[in-house]
Amino acid sequence: MRLTISRTLRLVALPLAVAGLAACGSDSPTGLRVFTGPALSVLGRGDMTARHMAEVWTRGNVAYTTTWGQRSSNGVTAVGNAVHLWRIDGTAPVLVDSLIVENATTLGDVQVSDDGRLLVVATERQNGSIVIYDLTNPLKPVRRARYQTANTSNGVHTARLARVNGTLYAFLSIDPPDARLVIVDLTDPANPREVFVRAMGNPFVHDVFVRDGLLFTALWHDGMTIWDLGGGGKGGSPSNPVQIGNVRTAAWSPSAAGSAAHNIWWLHDAAGGPYATRFAFVGEEAPGTGGSALNSSNGDIHVVDVGDVSAPREVAFYHVDGAGTHNFSVDEQRGILYAAYYNAGVRAIDVRGNLASCTAEQKAPDGRCDLRRMGRELAAGLQNGSPVYVWGVHFDGSFVYASDMLNGLWKLVATNR
Amino acid sequence: MIATLLAPRRVGAATAATAVTAVSLAVAMALPRAVARAQSPESHSSDSVGSHSPAITLRAQALGLVTRVDPALGGRAYTEGYLLQPMIMAHGRALRGHLGAVLTLDFEGLTLERGQLTPGAYGEGYVDRRHPHTYLHEALGVAEGAFRGTGVSLAGGKGFVPFGTDDPMMRPFAAYPVNHHLAQILERYALIGAVRRGPFSVEAALFNGDEPRSPGAPPDVERFGDSWAVRVTATVPRSLELVGSYAFVTSPELVTGGGLDQRKWSAAARFDHPTGLVRYALVEWAHTDAFFGDVRTNRFTSFLAEGSAVARPVTLSARFEDTTRPEEERLLDPFRTSRSPTDLGIIGITRWRTGTVAASIERSLGSIDVAPFVEATYARPTDELRPSAFVPREFYGASSVWALSAGVRLGAGRMPHRMGRYGAALPNVAPTMTGGPHVGH
Repeated sequence: MRLTISRTLRLVALPLAVAGLAACGSDSPTGLRVFTGPALSVLGRGDMTARHMAEVWTRGNVAYTTTWGQRSSNGVTAVGNAVHLWRIDGTAPVLVDSLIVENATTLGDVQVSDDGRLLVVATERQNGSIVIYDLTNPLKPVRRARYQTANTSNGVHTARLARVNGTLYAFLSIDPPDARLVIVDLTDPANPREVFVRAMGNPFVHDVFVRDGLLFTALWHDGMTIWDLGGGGKGGSPSNPVQIGNVRTAAWSPSAAGSAAHNIWWLHDAAGGPYATRFAFVGEEAPGTGGSALNSSNGDIHVVDVGDVSAPREVAFYHVDGAGTHNFSVDEQRGILYAAYYNAGVRAIDVRGNLASCTAEQKAPDGRCDLRRMGRELAAGLQNGSPVYVWGVHFDGSFVYASDMLNGLWKLVATNR
Repeated sequence: MIATLLAPRRVGAATAATAVTAVSLAVAMALPRAVARAQSPESHSSDSVGSHSPAITLRAQALGLVTRVDPALGGRAYTEGYLLQPMIMAHGRALRGHLGAVLTLDFEGLTLERGQLTPGAYGEGYVDRRHPHTYLHEALGVAEGAFRGTGVSLAGGKGFVPFGTDDPMMRPFAAYPVNHHLAQILERYALIGAVRRGPFSVEAALFNGDEPRSPGAPPDVERFGDSWAVRVTATVPRSLELVGSYAFVTSPELVTGGGLDQRKWSAAARFDHPTGLVRYALVEWAHTDAFFGDVRTNRFTSFLAEGSAVARPVTLSARFEDTTRPEEERLLDPFRTSRSPTDLGIIGITRWRTGTVAASIERSLGSIDVAPFVEATYARPTDELRPSAFVPREFYGASSVWALSAGVRLGAGRMPHRMGRYGAALPNVAPTMTGGPHVGH
């Protein structure tokens, strides 16, 4: 078949036009809006650059941090299999010891039980488990058990300790495929006993919060579900949670895929009043745009009215341009929520009072109250220009400790109104 | 020597695969050669689904390889040997060509569980190693007809999605390019319609988005239809092919769904001629955008150019590639990544610039095609984002990576079909015969 030159050119141009349509620009993270208000004062930092720091928990004068993923230097790669112990009674945290968890590449959550007796660490990706340590000597944890079963082996993404009717439980959110919640009785720490397992989440359950016999589950695109464990009057228990209510929180962007409900905190404001236990905070963890871990994030804090736990509803939110929230720690004496904000450091938000009441100017177009427009943004930390990527925060009554994946453990002065 | 380089626990399985391949080669040699018409333009013209008796074409092939990558990670060189692509391919047709069947069995699940060392390769939970393909690589039925000068076909089963370019298995190199998961979509349940008129063809497909979880795991049939693709091809003139394609793939990396979706683009020009100095050339551009709903999270791009020339008795091939690769958390085996990422984020992006050269000699030993070859790759990976949880220079212990390979390709029987195209989508370009420079690896 003979082709004219013009027809040939058209035939060449047609498919190759697809190439011309492509944007050749490379990815770069969306710009971060830096907070210009008061800064949380930094007292010091315990450096950690051999591994990426993950979560933090403090008890007394000791902080415990976990590690994540791999970090390489000069061809030597260290994986996230270490728990680091820090003395925090000085200005800057001081690394004093490490625990190595065998056959692990990422440790996620770390938590000390309410009575200070146990330290529990989650292992993820492979050989999913929780490792349980005795804290008779807080600086010398002694392993009591490593709990790993077929139900946990996919990876324990988060582990929460909570006491229900006097019994200590661990609530384990298990990685997909076959994402599930596993509840383990820790009455005998050397011999944990599984009491409940159920598939849940869309597509996974990410984290939980337990208080007053209620279980709050962060179910990703299924939002937040509230369950009765014995405090909700529905006949539930840790071995048989009964669903009470659900809310699918909004996405940080109308174009985003869904709720990405990541973590939860049900506020009990020590000041009391009609709103003291009215609100729960749901963190949204959406992937960053144009970036990756350590340089980009998205996701808002969503305020949910749980006055009627059978019909929770979102009433407000907090948003930071160019960054997303991760884990929380709340100063319930002062009604201040501290949020780890990845590449935006740490944010302190006034969460006391009626968060559902705001003026028309303080509302978003969808009717939710905007906490920033309400002036509830109190302070920000670690926004001095050097890159940070804050995974977790822990408020110990006086100070805020922030685990920075890039640099180490920061000690910040807590704020007030 | 190769046996000693194989992981000991897989020697039994590798032996089984070797035995299967050997038997298949023998069968392919012994099977009476059916009259398989050359894929000439006439055979695929609109009026040419003509009177042909039922025909079966069979081919078996395998590739033995020893490769050294330096450094593979942490400043250390790795040397390994494999039996790659032990395959049986079959094509049958009946009812004067109106019905056809395509079958490709690939036994890499037995011989390549650990993956093939390939700098920059990634996908399906493997990194810096090419993953093994599924046992049932292709299995489709094809119905084909012609109406008033227009060829039409409908293919259904498991196979290639009409997107991108030919599978690297059918191209000159033993090492797959980094862009394999940007430039091809394969091993899915697919329903593919194709229309051909003159030099143009259009294909459209519905398929399941989830990537294979293992060589033996079938796709999730409940996800069939959650993804789609379209490809346009122009053949200008008989040996030059221009292709553009687009695909929307739902949550390929999270089998349960709910992961990031992909919107994929590809454009390519391909030259393929059985005679002359330059036998084959391909220029390809591809990009994939990852989406969280309608929010683009990342973009991955690729440019690739490769070609082969024959200077008898040697075939010389060269490839250049510039491709960005997403980085994921690695497992205890540093060549494996988590298949079920929570939080949906990546830990970095690496740009791989690679150059590969290969030389091979085609011979025939009776009915068996034998093609020994050598191949060398030089790669420079660099981090695209900073700070990043994956810094190539720190991880590999060097700013560049070398790979050297030597091996032999074996094959028996005629190449039954151009892998990845079915029915009316087969272009009016005569593929190089078995034993040619870049087909029948």
